[in-house]
Amino acid sequence: MQEDFHYYATYCAAYIAGYSHEESLDICYSAQFVDMCSRTLLSKLRGPLNAATTQLQLEMMDARTDMIGLQDITRIWSSFHFLPQNLYAKLKHRNKRYMNKYRLICGPNGDLLVKTIELAKDKSLQHIGIAMHVLADTWAHMYFAGTPSLVINNTNDYFYEISDNDEERKIKFRHNPGTPDDLEKLLYTNSLHQGKENSIMNLGHGRAGHLPDYSFIKYKYLPAWGEYEEIIKDNPSDYRKAFCQMIYAMKYLKGEIDNFETDKYDFEAIAEWESRIDMILRKRQLFACDDWKAFGEELSGKSIEDFDLEKYQSEYIDASKEQKNITFLGKFFDGAILQKSMVTSEIFKSGNILAGFAKSISSEGGAI
Amino acid sequence: MTRLQKIKSFLSGFTMLIFAIILMLVPQDSYPIIILVISLGLIFYGLKILIYYFTMARYMVGGKNTLIKGVIILDFGFLAGSLTDVPAIYILMYLIIIHAFSGLVDILRVYESHKYGARSWKLQLIHGIVNIALAVICIIFIRNANTAVYIYCLGLIYSAIIRMITAFRKTTLIFIQ
Repeated sequence: MQEDFHYYATYCAAYIAGYSHEESLDICYSAQFVDMCSRTLLSKLRGPLNAATTQLQLEMMDARTDMIGLQDITRIWSSFHFLPQNLYAKLKHRNKRYMNKYRLICGPNGDLLVKTIELAKDKSLQHIGIAMHVLADTWAHMYFAGTPSLVINNTNDYFYEISDNDEERKIKFRHNPGTPDDLEKLLYTNSLHQGKENSIMNLGHGRAGHLPDYSFIKYKYLPAWGEYEEIIKDNPSDYRKAFCQMIYAMKYLKGEIDNFETDKYDFEAIAEWESRIDMILRKRQLFACDDWKAFGEELSGKSIEDFDLEKYQSEYIDASKEQKNITFLGKFFDGAILQKSMVTSEIFKSGNILAGFAKSISSEGGAI
Repeated sequence: MTRLQKIKSFLSGFTMLIFAIILMLVPQDSYPIIILVISLGLIFYGLKILIYYFTMARYMVGGKNTLIKGVIILDFGFLAGSLTDVPAIYILMYLIIIHAFSGLVDILRVYESHKYGARSWKLQLIHGIVNIALAVICIIFIRNANTAVYIYCLGLIYSAIIRMITAFRKTTLIFIQ
């Protein structure tokens, strides 16, 4: 997903869930900041490097893919962008190495999603924003894993867009990141094929380009792990569920619902704007920021400022060491470290070493 | 990284280091050994790919390509092993291409890193310059049969040191509860 959904749509969902304009802005800012908080930015801010929630392309180019490098990559991408759906999935005739990768395939409504939402309960708005990013990405990035893997994340050229009247058109890929996707000619950018299992090119949905990030597209393809069975990815439907599940989750976090359960969506909450939301989701465009922004401003009657990466940086840099954790970014970093630690621990507990392990210490510094 | 992986990483680095030093001590007898190492390297790499195919890639859409790749590399390994008298100049040309290409890629990455304002580009620039320098040395001393041995050994020593350093890298993630 992109800024249109993580920032503007998350604002709309938060406001519909009952948060104020200011609170919704904090939540959506944090949700979008997950895509920005790289080690490069953290080193500039002199923040905790463990709080990195993403990696820049350049950082990934330099990332080693030995076991330590793989664990670092997997911790970041599995925790925030490709939350595993079932860490205990079973398949016949596969070895442990294969299963360790297979079990990291992202998908909605898994046990880790429940833990993610519950972890954000009674925490800061920043932590809620992080949880909303993770939740939304479980829908967009499903069927791909947040670890480099050829046997899981690879695709071939079998990609077809399915129109509203079920007409199928072949999708073509090229490897030029500098050129925007051409929606008319169905010409999209994807990552180069790399035959090595752990090549960084085989991380996440790189081989499918930005298709998972566009809300309008419905397409079919053959995932590497799927034994030649077609998968139909219906993004408009999935994004609608993501939006309604965010509303449901935020109502729980706000205390209006006692328990967070999987496979529940607050469709009722959007009944009033159903056709409007459907129109935004299905509109063929690279970025839906303007449409979501206009919708959000109509909802709250207030102006939604554009995402500004610099907004809270000086507050954090100028704060004393003791005061840093009560700044906006300080709270974000705490939430990010907690989320990363929880996911890492759960993956490790499942007998999978691909994310390494988390060592817990108390907030006072003593080892637990 | 598990303890076993750390030990494996350190021991393989240490073995490479010893091997490189021995080669440097007897450069005149090193060519058959280098060819043997290249041949064994290709054979093991081919076998590794075939094992990867039979354990993982055969379940993958398009996995047959991995099988073909493994067979071809294995074949190259056997072919290299069957060569008994290779002129040193071919090995030097191979090293020139490898180092020049690696150096060029490193420098292009530095250029891009610098353009994006990243801080950590100096070490990569050094890698790039060293690689280009090694390629230039190979060209200058192309008539000296021992040059290829020394260049090859430098590459081995570098890889060995990286492997040993990797064995001591920290893996723990600390978090606050």
